[in-house]
Amino acid sequence: MTGLPADGEFREAAPDVARPAGIATAEAPASTGDAGGPGRGTGRPMAARLGPLGWLRWAWRQLTSMRTALILLFLLALASVPGSVLPQEGIDPAAVTQYYQSHPSLAPILNHLSLFSVFAAPWFAAIYLLLFASLAGCVLPRTFRLVGSARQKPPRAPSNLRRLPASASYVTDLAPAAALQKASTLLGGRRFRLSEGDGWVSAEKGYLREVGNLLFHIALLALLISVGLGGIWGYKANRLLIVGQGFANTPTALDVFHPGRLVSPSDLQPFAINLLNFRAEYETSGPELDQPITYDAGLSYTSQPGARTQHYMLKVNHPLVVDSVSVYLIGHGYAPVFKVTDGTGKVRWDGPVPFIPVDQTTLTSEGVIKVPDAEPYQLGFAGVFLPTEVDSGNQLQSAFPAALNPRVSLVAFKGNLGMNSGVPQSVYTLDTKGLSQLPIAARPLAAGQSMKLPDGAGTITYLGYQQWVSLAITYDPGQLPALVSGFTALAGLILSFLVRRRRVFVRAIAAPDGSTEVLVGGLARSDAAGGFETEFAELARQLRAEHDGRQMQATQVGDGTVDETEDPDERERGRLPVPAGSAATVASANADTAPAANPEVLTSREGE
Amino acid sequence: MLVNTTLADTSNGLLLSAVVLYALAMLCYAGDLAFARHRVMAGFATARVGQAAAVPELVGAGAGAPVAPGPAASAGDESAGAVSAGDGGIDAPPASRWPSGGWLRLGFGLTCVGAGVHVAAILTRGLAEDRVPWGNMYEFIGAFTCMAVLVLIAAAAFYRAYYMGLFVLLPVVLALGIDLTWIYTPAGSLVPALQSYWIAIHVTAMIVAIGLFLFGAVVTTLYLLADRSQRRLAAGQPSWSAGIWERLPRPEILDRLSYRSVLFGFPVWTFGVMAGAIWADHAWGRYWGWDPKETWSFITWVVYAMFLHARATAGWRGRRAAWIHLAGFACLMFNVIGVNLFITGLHSYAGMS
Repeated sequence: MTGLPADGEFREAAPDVARPAGIATAEAPASTGDAGGPGRGTGRPMAARLGPLGWLRWAWRQLTSMRTALILLFLLALASVPGSVLPQEGIDPAAVTQYYQSHPSLAPILNHLSLFSVFAAPWFAAIYLLLFASLAGCVLPRTFRLVGSARQKPPRAPSNLRRLPASASYVTDLAPAAALQKASTLLGGRRFRLSEGDGWVSAEKGYLREVGNLLFHIALLALLISVGLGGIWGYKANRLLIVGQGFANTPTALDVFHPGRLVSPSDLQPFAINLLNFRAEYETSGPELDQPITYDAGLSYTSQPGARTQHYMLKVNHPLVVDSVSVYLIGHGYAPVFKVTDGTGKVRWDGPVPFIPVDQTTLTSEGVIKVPDAEPYQLGFAGVFLPTEVDSGNQLQSAFPAALNPRVSLVAFKGNLGMNSGVPQSVYTLDTKGLSQLPIAARPLAAGQSMKLPDGAGTITYLGYQQWVSLAITYDPGQLPALVSGFTALAGLILSFLVRRRRVFVRAIAAPDGSTEVLVGGLARSDAAGGFETEFAELARQLRAEHDGRQMQATQVGDGTVDETEDPDERERGRLPVPAGSAATVASANADTAPAANPEVLTSREGE
Repeated sequence: MLVNTTLADTSNGLLLSAVVLYALAMLCYAGDLAFARHRVMAGFATARVGQAAAVPELVGAGAGAPVAPGPAASAGDESAGAVSAGDGGIDAPPASRWPSGGWLRLGFGLTCVGAGVHVAAILTRGLAEDRVPWGNMYEFIGAFTCMAVLVLIAAAAFYRAYYMGLFVLLPVVLALGIDLTWIYTPAGSLVPALQSYWIAIHVTAMIVAIGLFLFGAVVTTLYLLADRSQRRLAAGQPSWSAGIWERLPRPEILDRLSYRSVLFGFPVWTFGVMAGAIWADHAWGRYWGWDPKETWSFITWVVYAMFLHARATAGWRGRRAAWIHLAGFACLMFNVIGVNLFITGLHSYAGMS
């Protein structure tokens, strides 16, 4: 049994050999289907007689069985669900923090179960690794078998071709040998693989189906490996860049840096990027007011120190690729520019401070300014930036994302910023533990306006604003292999769905009156495109024309195809089309005489 | 960007007209089921005739010669009975491609006209907005229901699955009704994240796949119901719906038709997911990031893969596989609707705030 869908191979057993009862005879009681079958992979172990090796073999057979593959697929789907429902550390860490706050007792338990990082969880890895082991355990032997069967010939023709799903017969004046010779030539010319014997010709075609099937599964293995490559030698980073600023691609210059397992800082490609300008455009009217139309970030960059400076207009959906590293525009915002003078009259801060949008439609943004060098007190400010401030009573409100009427509202603190405590601090939050809020009305400032702080603590002036962009920098050496694997898998899938594996048999029997009766039989597996009956009818017609035959008769059951199944018993339970004619004949046949239409010719090898 | 409001209004009117046409077509299909008694199992019970007609050359000369045992020869044998009950296969080239009976003809005609109007509604919407007309949930539902109707027409043309009309149009009309009332979004432009030629590739593939899967799910539902009815009858129990199923092909043929829809839909879905990954790489800097939409498209893919595997496994074919098929479709629908409405992620383009 294997973990592959669709069919495996036709069973290659020679016809007319004795088979276990229940497979070939209609009288045999319908078996329970699952219990029997040698080597079906679900066989019960006989614990007493199994040695360690036997157990291993049993375990391996279990793992590579189709049922296990089904269960693992189901578990994989099921295990992915929490990853989409619960906030994920790797996607939105802030949402995880928020979840901790709203579910203080539940969150630690979920965290313990890795439910905030499902796709990196050991149990998730266990499922997909088992699945891929199961897959490999199925694909590799089948690949060897396919290679082995490359030189194998089709089996001999069943003795009664009339019992095949599609059959035809006619009478010709040619001698049997000559008729078969012509049939071989015709079928060979149609690129059937042939084997010939005494009074019969077998032809088979459509090996590409199994090739496609295996290609698909092997490509999936390759895809997994490609993803792994990215995790080992790739890296991801983020960098917030204010207009006018630049940075070089080194770990220290990056805000967030997630290196792969084997990435060292010296492996980073040494490019440098400057942000020259940024422009965002928004809908100014209509139902989609505020909706962004376009973002353009003008960059200049050098691929390595000393290299020629180049320019690039970075947009969403248009990453910059430099030295096989991709740089993406993933966010933007405002950075109000402040000048802070402390109580001693010294300028302690003069520059832009990036604020983070808290409302994406109006780009109302929040940020903090920390002035640890201020004297006599350290100063801290929490601010709200309103790109287009509108008067709405006491509420701070922005009406539009573009900076049409920019204002900043500030709350001032003095005291100890806590920056020497040794605990790393976020530049976007203010630790107010050691701070006291200054009693001053939070009046929104326009550009150029100042706010004088009480207690001789100093002055803060809002000078205007800059814009910033946030860049994602990724290097993934597994990308191209993943792409190739993906498309190979798709090609294999389509191939396995489109190609039909089919066999055509011809028998020529000398009649007493000197003429020859030619029988043609055919079968195929059911597949997406169908149409075997048309192909068979056409083949039969050509053969008859070749043989100059007469008295044509034809029968077909269904579309001449056999549904893929690995359970021969299914046939007896009436789920499969029984070859026309066999019903009446088989019903009267004795099991010992082994009816000639060999069901094994039809059944797949997946049971082995 | 300016939206041509006249065209946008035309589009709305056309979509509404399509719904009305589909509803009328449903009435006709229902009339066919109810009244066209003379035609019970036409094309199925008579499949043998159809086959014979399909290979006229093979039959011609052999008149009078021994014929393959017909139903009479194997009377009493159950499995043979199943075969002779007209397993024309869904490939059996029919005596006539055209629907038989006035109700069915009218219904199918209305379906085709409705589909034409539906396509026109989508085209005018695209022209009004000067972009690919599947940028939000309203447009997306309009598009994949249209695809489902096109699949229905194709299935009728190639496999003579006219009998599916009523059952496929039912969810289509319901979905479009909801689409027009609760999900309606006025014509507008695309957010920067969607401004890429990949929308034409990725979203189109998804629409085609969902149309196929929708059709397949309807067939599978019919299969399960018909199979249940058949088993009840076999067990001597009453089955209220038996009257419907005797006008439809045998469960086996429904099963095969649904299998085919997945055989077509699955590679398209696979391609859609891959195109999405490439686009994600262009837009967000990674080809796979377990965004909720990505996660659910993966889950959908896995469940449909399970269906394909189950169908090749003994003891799983038939009803069990059909249930997996429906589970896959449920995941798909959750991805299309649930993820848009209940889960925030990078794919939050539904336009439903």
